[in-house]
This record gives sequence, structure tokens and C-alpha cells, in this order.
Amino acid sequence: MFALSHKRMREIANFGTPMNLYEADDDAELRILMITGGWEVRRSFNQMGIQPGDHVRILRRAPFGGPLMIDNQGTRVAVGKQLAEQIHVEVVA
Amino acid sequence: MKVALVGQPNSGKSTLFNAAAGYRSLTSNFAGTTVEYTLGQARIGGEVVDLIDLPGLYSLTPTSPVEEVSRDYLLGGDWDVVINVVDASQLARSLELTLELLDLEAPLVVCLNMMDEAVRKGMTIDTPALSRALGVPVIEAIGTRGRGINETFAAARQAVERGGPGRAYVYAAEVEDIIDELSDAVEPHLPRRAVPAVASRLTSGRRAPTLAPAPVNAPACAGGGCTGCGAAPVAGTGSQAKPPAGVFPVATTAVIDDEPEVASPNGQVQITNRQSSMAIRQSAIPAFPPARFRALQWVQSDPRKLRTEEPTLAPAVERAQAAIAARTHAPADAAVSRARHAACLGLFEETARLARPRADWREQVDRLAMHPIWGYAVLALVFTGFFRLIFDVGKLGEDRILSLFDLVIAALTRHMDAHSALFAGVKGAVLGTAGAVAIVLPYLLPFLVGLAILEDIGYLSRVGYLMDALMHRLGLHGTATLPVLIGYGCSVPAVMGTRILSTRRDRFIGAFLAIMVPCSARMTVIFALVGFYLGAGWALGIYALNLLIVAVTGHILARMWPEVSPGMLMEVPAYRVPGPRVVVLKTWWRLREFVLVAFPMLVGGSVLLSLIDFYGWQHGINAALGPLMSLLGLPHTVGLTLIFGVLRKELSLLMLMQALGTTHVATVMTTAQILIFTLFVTFYVPCVATLASMKRELGWRLTLAASGALLGLAVVVSVAARGLLRVL
Repeated sequence: MFALSHKRMREIANFGTPMNLYEADDDAELRILMITGGWEVRRSFNQMGIQPGDHVRILRRAPFGGPLMIDNQGTRVAVGKQLAEQIHVEVVA
Repeated sequence: MKVALVGQPNSGKSTLFNAAAGYRSLTSNFAGTTVEYTLGQARIGGEVVDLIDLPGLYSLTPTSPVEEVSRDYLLGGDWDVVINVVDASQLARSLELTLELLDLEAPLVVCLNMMDEAVRKGMTIDTPALSRALGVPVIEAIGTRGRGINETFAAARQAVERGGPGRAYVYAAEVEDIIDELSDAVEPHLPRRAVPAVASRLTSGRRAPTLAPAPVNAPACAGGGCTGCGAAPVAGTGSQAKPPAGVFPVATTAVIDDEPEVASPNGQVQITNRQSSMAIRQSAIPAFPPARFRALQWVQSDPRKLRTEEPTLAPAVERAQAAIAARTHAPADAAVSRARHAACLGLFEETARLARPRADWREQVDRLAMHPIWGYAVLALVFTGFFRLIFDVGKLGEDRILSLFDLVIAALTRHMDAHSALFAGVKGAVLGTAGAVAIVLPYLLPFLVGLAILEDIGYLSRVGYLMDALMHRLGLHGTATLPVLIGYGCSVPAVMGTRILSTRRDRFIGAFLAIMVPCSARMTVIFALVGFYLGAGWALGIYALNLLIVAVTGHILARMWPEVSPGMLMEVPAYRVPGPRVVVLKTWWRLREFVLVAFPMLVGGSVLLSLIDFYGWQHGINAALGPLMSLLGLPHTVGLTLIFGVLRKELSLLMLMQALGTTHVATVMTTAQILIFTLFVTFYVPCVATLASMKRELGWRLTLAASGALLGLAVVVSVAARGLLRVL
């Protein structure tokens, strides 16, 4: 009777807490809420033109915990797992 | 006129440079670094122009040593005009660097390169509108087809004559107020350097900027003798004086000097904004870079570094950072970059439209080439094909070149006394040259061409993406895949390739692993000895063992020297058709670098070895190496061959046959000895050419440490193999 998918259960558990980019689903339009991690992390994202407020999309992910390839206004950027976890996103409705 | 080409990586800057300057260019290093820039000359409309191609940089707030060097060059001011090369298809992101360059308030031209790519992406750019908004000329170009290049340089020429825009782009008010206050506060502390090119143009009356309000009040112009600056006194009173008539109309909404200018009774334009009051306070030499630029840089700088680097200004900067943080609820650097980002997106929306991109074949290629399974199959295929091609081409050339040098030696023998030290030396030099040429031409040349093509197509960044997870196990990023793979070809370019890695730690581990991988010379030894006498299975076994040891070493090194860089963040450029000109030039520069580093070592070492042979010192060397040979269980006559191996790895094979007096090695050495010898040669000290390039990239200390560690490793592996073989 509680046939909730794993994904749905995760959504319920994380309700109200932002998810990070690595956890987000592929191909969904995402809005960046916040980038955590110190000065260097912010700088490197800034250099790639990735900032809070931007809309991004995960195009594909490399296997074995490899990087994500994301699309940010036509620019494709490979983002390693550790860095992707510093980006907090929400799904754009 | 000196033109600096500045652009983000992959903006096609070098294509533009090559199209303009071509083959008559020089690569040099910035003093004390391995960061390269390229100098060239171009003839533009009858005038010879100096061009400097700076390494690509994403912003003027650097995160890597390469970017730092580029920025420092720009701030040094030894140029007349900057051409900002922009990938039009990445306009929104690229504008961030453009806005920072505008802050320099110096002559600037924006070259919208790769317009074809933008069109393919469904973009339309209103170039005149962009030019108006930025206040600098914007020229469309397609570098690969040579289109728009002359126009760009013509605009640069005009920009120099007209002077800089003299104004910066204004960001959100909440940031801008504080920046204004800070730049006023830091302004008196800035050094007044008479910077040769830019600053002198900013002050000399003849070429004073016309769009800049500041120099109108500067002493040079105030005297009334000003003729060339174009800021003709505005006649009449009462009318709202427009900014001095430049060729490029000024979009006042977006620009700092939007306050009304008041014509003074004597007809001179009086400007009431902050900039002009600054100009009055300044003496004849304005600060370069301008106070506002400095203030922005400091506000964005790492708070931890600020106190040590700028102790006098730190309190003021920290107050400004705190004020910005209080207003924007974000760290100051984030607030400023967000403001700049917002300005870029605004500019982009005003001037460009993005239709739905056409789905083209490149998306299909990526679907395969970056697929979680097929991607690796493609990778394996590409690299096997690549190395096959190199060895097939190489084999063809090597034998012919070597037989050519044999003729030279034969001729020498006829004309010289074969038993003199001079003959030994000359013979050594000829053999050394032969070796160098026989490696360089047949193997390295096709290798470098292939590498430049793979790089230009954009495949190498895909390799980085695919291999990142795996390389992390070795303590490296995906970007380090390339040098390690190149190591299978030749260690020298592999070590040079580590330059693309951002930290010294990554460069060291990358180089260390790259030289452990058996290069093509060691491959010759492995296949000619183990493959030939023991079978191909054993040879492949050595490769597998090597891979295992490389992995373990990487793991240990990563533990010893923990990672600091946060992980992969890399642009994946669209596939491009490689331009033949760029490929040829890239190959030529890398080849020349190899020749400069490796040739002297190879020839010198060869001469030395001939002399050792001539004076009969090999007995001493064999005796000295005796204990090591006993430890490894090898015949003592083999000792000298290892010394030859340091010169060139495959020489150890030839010398082994000479030392043993037979080409049938199996008749004098046991299976175990052949295996141990090969293992030892695979791992011990890198060849001299590799050592020289390592010294260049890493310095002597790390080079010697790596060599010592490798020698130790070779002994351990060989002795372990000996013990194991005895048990079996």
C-alpha cells in the first residue's frame, strides 16, 4: 500500500532541504540556489560563468562517480563529483 | 603599436594570432616561469604591428599560475591596445572577462570570433548594439577562415589613436557605491608608475582618450594646446553637452559618467563626476591600473591572502568587504562576481537572441564518445589507432635514417684515424645526432601532429571527462590522463604535458607516473628481449605489472601528498574541424622545444660514452656496478649497458648485445636474467632527455627525488622478481 519509489522517498526525506547538483536528476532544468565551499571554489565556478540564479541542466554523467557534464546557457562544463556537491539547486517548475 | 591578444581558453585566440602573424613568431617564457606566450609581427595596412598572444585566462582574478602571469603582464601595461578575443557562441560567459578588461580603462577592441559557430547554435548577435553598450568597437570574425581579422586590427589601430574608453562598466548600485568609496580611499596609495605604453598614451595630449572625461581636465589638455584628443571644446552654454564625440556612441544608462556635464564659461568641458575630480587630484601620471580596477580586485581577493599581501590597505578593503557583505548578504567576492554576472546576462539579453539550437551531428558523436560504456571503447580505439599509426610511420623512418648515419660513420672511418680520441668523439657526436634524429623525426613528429589534431578537435577534454573517476584513484584529475598516456609514446612530451595541470603537486605526480609508464624506447627493449625470447604473453605481462605498479605508486603518492584542488571543473568545447595552420604551428613549437631540451643532452652524452669506450673506462664502471649486478643476478658485463640506457633506453638493448658479444642473447643469459634485466630497464632512472625536461618543469630537487625513487623501485621490483622466479 505504501508503494513509494526510492526516488519519491528521498524527495520526502529531503523536503525543504536543498539538494546538491550531484543528487539532481538528469535532463531536469535546475536553478542554482547557492554555492558553498570557500573562496577558491566560488572563484573557479565564477570563472566558468556558473553563479547562483543560473539555470543548468545535467546532460550526462561519467560512470564510477565521475564528473557530470552540465549545460549552462550553451556552455558545456564537466564538474567533478566533489565540486558538484557544493552546488545547491532546485528544480525549476 | 603593440597589441595584446587576450581571451578565454578555447576562444580561438591562437587561430587569430596565427592567421595574422603566421610562422614568423617566437614562443618565449615569462621570466622565471614555464608559462609561455607567443610574440609575432603582423603587417596591418602597411604598418608592422607587434603582437603578443597571452595564455588564455577566464578572468583577471586568477586561480592558476598561468592566469596569474597573464594578468600580471596586462597590469604591467607594456602594450598599446588589447584585442579581447571572444567565442561568440559563448557570449554570455565570455563577457565577464570583457567587463573586467573595460575596468582597465585602456584601448580595447572586442573581436567576436567563431561567428559561424554562434550561427550554428541559433544565435543572432546585434553587434552594433553590443558595441554601443560596451563603448568599445566590436568586430565579428571567423578566425579559421581569416574573416574579420583585418577589420579587427584596423579597429585596434583606431582605438590606439583615440585612446581608451576611459570608463568602466557599472554594476549593481549596492556594490558600486562601496567600490567608489574604496577606490577613493585606495587611490592615494597606488603607485604612480610611468608605464611605458598604455599610461603614456593616457596622459600624452596627442593621444588622450576622447571618450574619457578625465583627461579633459588633465593638465596636458587644460592648457588649451590640445589638438589631437578630439575633445573639441563644446561651443555654447546651457546645452547639455554630450560626451566628447567618439566614433562609438555612448549608452549612457550603462556607463559611469552619466551625470550631466556642464560647460564652463570658458568653453572647456567641465565634468562633475567622481572620475574627473580624481583626475584633478592626480598629477600628470594617472595610476595604471586605475583605482577602480584595483578596488574591485582587492574586494574580490581572498580575505586570507589580503592581510599578508596588502597590509596597509587591508583594513580599508576589509571594511568595504564587510559593507558589501552586509548589504548583499553574501561574501564580497561573490557579490561582486554576481553583480558582474548579472551585468553580462543583461548585456547578453539586450544584444543577442538564442533560437533553438539545431541538433547536429556533434551531439550524436558525443552521445557515443561520452557514453558510460561505448565512450571507453571509443577511447581505447582512438588511442590504439593513434599509437599504431605512430609506430608504423616511425618504423618506416627510423631504419632509413639510421642507415643514412651508418654511411656517415663509414665515410668518417675512411678519412680519419679510427684509433684517435678525436674520432671517438666525432663518432659519438654523429651517433648521438643519429639517435636524436631517429627518434624525433619518425616517432615524435607523427605523435605531435596527432596530438595537436586530437586537441584541436576537442577530443582530449572528453578523455579527461571519461577518465576523471579512474585518475582520482591515482590522486590525479582526469586532465592528467593525457600526460600519462603520452608517456607510452615518449616521456619528454609527457613531462612537458604536465604543464596543463594547475598545482605543483599534480604536476609532480603526473610527471612521476608518466615516466614510469614504458615509453616507445622501453617498448622496443621489452618486445625485443622478453617478447622475442620468452613470447608475447610475457611481454604483455610486463605491461600489466607496470600498470599495477603505476597504480599503487599513484595511490601512495596521493596519500603522501594529499590533494588540495577541489576537483574537475573544465569546459568541454564543441567539436571543431582542426585548422591545418594551427596544427602545424603547434607541432612545430613543441618539436622545437624538444629539440632545444633533448638534443644537447643526447649528443653530449653520446660523445661522453664514446670517450669512455675509447679510454677503456668501462671496466671501472662495470666493477663499480658489480655489487648491483650481483644483487640482480646479472652478468657483470651488463653494467655498462645500463649507463647507456640512461642516454637512450633502447641503447641498453644494442649495448647489451655488444657487451655480451652476441645477438643471440638467450645463449648467454637465462630466462630469469632476461626478464630481470628488462624489468630493471623499464623502471630505473629516466633517460637524460626526460631528466632535462623534468628539471625544466619541476626543478632539480623533485627531479632528483623522482630519479632516486625510481632507481630504488627498479631494484626492489627486480630483486623481488628474482626471488619469485627462483621459488618457481
